[in-house]
Amino acid sequence: MPAYQGQRTLLVCLLALALMWADQNYSIVQTLRFAAGYVLYPAQQAALIPSSIAGWFSELGTARQDLLDENRQLSARNLVLELKAQRLASLEAENAELRELLSASEQVDDKVLVTTVVAIDPDPFSQQVLINKGSENGVFIGQPVLDAYGLLGQVVDVLPFSSKVMMIADSNHAIPVQINRNGVRAIATGTGALDQLELIYVPNTADIKEGDLLVSSGLGGRYPRGYPVAVVDRVEHQAGQMFASVTARPSAHLDRSRLLLLVFSQGAGKVPSKDLWKGAR
Amino acid sequence: MSIQSLIIGLLALFFGFVLEHLPMPDLIGWFQPLWVLVVVTLLVFQAPRTFGLWLAVPAGLMLDAEHATLMGTHVFTMAIHIFLVQLFFRRMEVFNLFQQMGVVLVLALLHQLLRFWLAQVLFDYPHPIDIWGPALSSVFVWPWVFALLRLTVLRTHT
Repeated sequence: MPAYQGQRTLLVCLLALALMWADQNYSIVQTLRFAAGYVLYPAQQAALIPSSIAGWFSELGTARQDLLDENRQLSARNLVLELKAQRLASLEAENAELRELLSASEQVDDKVLVTTVVAIDPDPFSQQVLINKGSENGVFIGQPVLDAYGLLGQVVDVLPFSSKVMMIADSNHAIPVQINRNGVRAIATGTGALDQLELIYVPNTADIKEGDLLVSSGLGGRYPRGYPVAVVDRVEHQAGQMFASVTARPSAHLDRSRLLLLVFSQGAGKVPSKDLWKGAR
Repeated sequence: MSIQSLIIGLLALFFGFVLEHLPMPDLIGWFQPLWVLVVVTLLVFQAPRTFGLWLAVPAGLMLDAEHATLMGTHVFTMAIHIFLVQLFFRRMEVFNLFQQMGVVLVLALLHQLLRFWLAQVLFDYPHPIDIWGPALSSVFVWPWVFALLRLTVLRTHT
């Protein structure tokens, strides 16, 4: 301890008190504060280095956080979509069940595959739809397609994951049918209008009435037997004509059905595509 | 007075001020040690011929600038602090680490108390409990700073 240290300390303390008093009353002491601040500046800047590095890292982290957030959002969205798809699948399954119950159960002992209409052919002269099942699902050309109410058409073009279905109302299409009531055979051709089929080669004398149900006859080996095709809505016997003019309304909801069934029945539909094209076009 | 210990001492003070200014999270900000006080204590304790009462003026003024207190507040507390360290340093040499820590606690608390009194006379100081946090944390940094400065060439009575 140096000599007179207590007195010196007292002196410094008194000076400090005087300085405090001066600082409170006179602004001149501010220059002293500025001077001290200048001396402090390097230390303060050095103290900020870690925080600026931390800031830099947190900026990096923020970008990463953004990406993570985006990723999370996309994942959530994906989940929602997947959930929807799942719901669709379950609805499809449920619908298929109901459909199987609906369409006369004795007919549907064939294997079926549920499919969805994904597009409609915009060509007004062709009645074709695109479905979301293709060769990967075992779809083949000439395969019969049904909806909940009856025969809808046949597959005319197969891609790996989608297929084109020509509906029975297409003017290029014809299907052998028979009257459910008495077994009279006829051929129902499309007219190009979705709500109308024409029965050709029906003798004038044939026993056919309005309201008769037409079912597929299975002749020709294209369509399986016994599926409802159309209901006769007009019969005209014209004198002097060889054939009666008969029109029928398709049972299948050609313009409304969204969920369709692809039928895998033994012996039906397996026609070489070359022949099919000949017949279809 | 040795140039070597002066340089080391000033460097230590510089880092003391760096640490004093270091931004702390709110949660532990309350426990920010009185780094400059600890360094000053150590310097006066370890190199009493180089660092004496004069250190109270620059260190105190810079602390005032740092903490935006009335100019002279820290000069006042530092002067008393240095005086007490000089009073105790002979005894501190024979103290073990825990006794030293006890002395540092008393000194730091006194420093805080003086600051508190001065601030209360002049302004409204937040809360008396603020005295304790920095004092306690200062005690716990003491052994580390002590060991660190012992690694340098700073030796007793230079």
